[in-house]
Amino acid sequence: MDWLQAFLPLNLERLSVWIGVLCTLAIYSLLYRENPIYRFFEHMYIGLAAGYSLGPLGVDILYRYWIEPIWIQGYWAWAFVVPYGMYLYFIFSERYGWISRIVIGTLIGASAGLFFQEFSSRYLPQLNSTLQKPLWVSDANPDLTYGMIINNILFVIILLSVLTYFTFSYEQRGPVKRVAIWGRWFLMIGLGAIFGNTVMARMALMIGRIYYLLNDWLLIRVGGG
Amino acid sequence: MGVLTNLMAQQTIWRLPEESRVLFATLIVAGAFVLILGLIPVLQTLPPRGRRAIIVTVTFLAGLFFAAEFFLPVDWTAIFPKDDPKRNFLTPAIQPAQNVLQIIGALALGLGTFGLVRLHLRNTVQRRAQWGYSIVLLVSFVVMATFSILNTLAEKKIVERGPMLERGFSILFDYTLIQLDAAMFSLVAFYIFSAAYRAFRIRSVEASILMFTAMLVMIGVVPLGAQISPALPTIANWVLAQLNAPAQRAIEFGVGIGGLAMAIRLWLSLERGVT
Amino acid sequence: MLSVDRRWLYLILFVNIVIFLLAPLRMPASISPPVQKFYDEIEKLQPGDLVMISSNWSASTLAENQPQLEAVITHLMRKQVRFTIISIEAQSRDISYRLAERVTKEKGYQYGEQWAHFGFVPNLAVAIKGMVTDLPNTIKQDVRGTAVAELPVVQGVKSLSEYKMIIDVTPTGSVPVWISYSPKNVKILYCPTSVMAAEAYTYLDSGQIKGMITGAKGAQEYEQLLGITGLGAPFANTISFSHLLIIAFILLGNFAMLMNRLQARREA
Repeated sequence: MDWLQAFLPLNLERLSVWIGVLCTLAIYSLLYRENPIYRFFEHMYIGLAAGYSLGPLGVDILYRYWIEPIWIQGYWAWAFVVPYGMYLYFIFSERYGWISRIVIGTLIGASAGLFFQEFSSRYLPQLNSTLQKPLWVSDANPDLTYGMIINNILFVIILLSVLTYFTFSYEQRGPVKRVAIWGRWFLMIGLGAIFGNTVMARMALMIGRIYYLLNDWLLIRVGGG
Repeated sequence: MGVLTNLMAQQTIWRLPEESRVLFATLIVAGAFVLILGLIPVLQTLPPRGRRAIIVTVTFLAGLFFAAEFFLPVDWTAIFPKDDPKRNFLTPAIQPAQNVLQIIGALALGLGTFGLVRLHLRNTVQRRAQWGYSIVLLVSFVVMATFSILNTLAEKKIVERGPMLERGFSILFDYTLIQLDAAMFSLVAFYIFSAAYRAFRIRSVEASILMFTAMLVMIGVVPLGAQISPALPTIANWVLAQLNAPAQRAIEFGVGIGGLAMAIRLWLSLERGVT
Repeated sequence: MLSVDRRWLYLILFVNIVIFLLAPLRMPASISPPVQKFYDEIEKLQPGDLVMISSNWSASTLAENQPQLEAVITHLMRKQVRFTIISIEAQSRDISYRLAERVTKEKGYQYGEQWAHFGFVPNLAVAIKGMVTDLPNTIKQDVRGTAVAELPVVQGVKSLSEYKMIIDVTPTGSVPVWISYSPKNVKILYCPTSVMAAEAYTYLDSGQIKGMITGAKGAQEYEQLLGITGLGAPFANTISFSHLLIIAFILLGNFAMLMNRLQARREA
């Protein structure tokens, strides 16, 4: 009886949970077959998601970086930024659509200019790390074990063979082709790892939903390590 | 340049006086809109080559700023003695450039919302197929936008946070949007399971390696793996760190070199179809 | 066998998960090296150190990122470390703010004094560059509208280089952006969803990230190290058996294909 009283939507808090459950079950109804209830909630979801974004975009960004600097702090030069950014919206016009490319060019140019720093900070340290892997025991690395050496040699072999596989500038023949085939096999290990992790991620998302249904709605206590 | 940015920071011509600040600011913003949008008929008179020239110039200058800021050496104290030795003369301009790009980025994100609303408004007005669902979308959009904007304003204490706003936003965000979002993405798990049974076939050496590694990772990294055998997690972690990592690094190198080539092509507007 | 209605498969998976979520069976995790490194790096922090949490997840990855963020915030509070949160995803702004408010209130952490939320920025790369140059004028104000320069938690902080650590909790590829543009003296820790984890091992190997918690199962390992009870444990345990089911069905599907082929060969 206590469970029933706690379960039913007799107050605003419980009603909110029931709304959440209704949303979840409506989406899950697609698994049985396409139906109007799913369509209704799908369109509601898109509308809510689009509507929600106006708060952070409109207030958090525009207020912070445009409205406050101009109207409250008095830095009038910022006034030109939003009209310039509004050129983007001409993308919907057939006649004036090219004007949006001016602003798109700004964004693309900025991203391209930033890439040089990204290249040096993201990729060069990885190259450095690979080149610094010791491949034999020497006085320079007294703590190195044979296990570490084998791992490092394997690392370099796999890296070089996968890079060989991705070399399409010339026709791969003979020993190069054999190395490229090994590279493809090693690449499958990486892709297998990605696939395994992807399955784990998706399962976790579904388990999260079912946990909500059991724990929050049906009040069946789940959990504990 | 450091002197100029210091001047800018110290107000003078760049800052409106406090008296009548709101009025002048409103007038200047209105004037900016008129000026910038009034430029459009002028720009429209340009021939295609002229239009392309403007786009190419803007793209180049935007990229040049960040590239130059990165490549120019730090420590300009020989030329600007009072400057910070850890930066070059372009570094102080990063922060205002950041502000500009955040505003443009926000407007760019709003583009998707604008396009969506435009499409569904058109569906509704023209009574196209399934226009009833478009009404659902538009009503949800308006209601959520109202609550979201009011909620963000209330967080910044610009408007009062009443119980209706609190409860309304909570129901719409916590109990509707979040639940729908989570449910939508959790559907993929069912499809993966169905695909695993119906479509994952071990027909070649490559497929066998992929499947075997996937199974090893799937069992080895979860608690069940340790229960089956203490060696399984060790082997799985070794596969991830010693066999998977170099393959991922090789992909990274390929992506990096390709990305650099593409960045240079985009910066110099050599890529067809963009400008 | 191969032509079974897929709805039966969905039901089998659903029932499997319900059973193992409800089952009292609980298995301890084997702590993986990246999670151990993650834990050790936070243990090295001193009281009063400043940490930036980049929380970029939305409700679509709630089950993986929520346990991670809760455990990370719990650990940081245990070390009496100051932290600020920033988001590059609109929904994440509210999700992470509400989560952090709830978790910090339980432990008596004060907003503004010991933690703050910097809100949402759409363009992360330029935001990081701006924060390195001039953090208060880049962020300007927190979610509550208080100027960053007036927040006690970041009093006197001018640059991101004064932070000790960046922790990226994300389902997107934002950690390469932090690696590319943040100061080299600031350590980076990573909390991806499982999908993004395999690609990050190269950053772990090169030392560009110092530790990693992978999805819900990583959260379980981390909760175990912290000695707390969270959502990671029941999720990871249930994941184990769903994986077993998937592997069984993959093998079953291949067995069915083999049987079909042998049948066809016999008939031929």
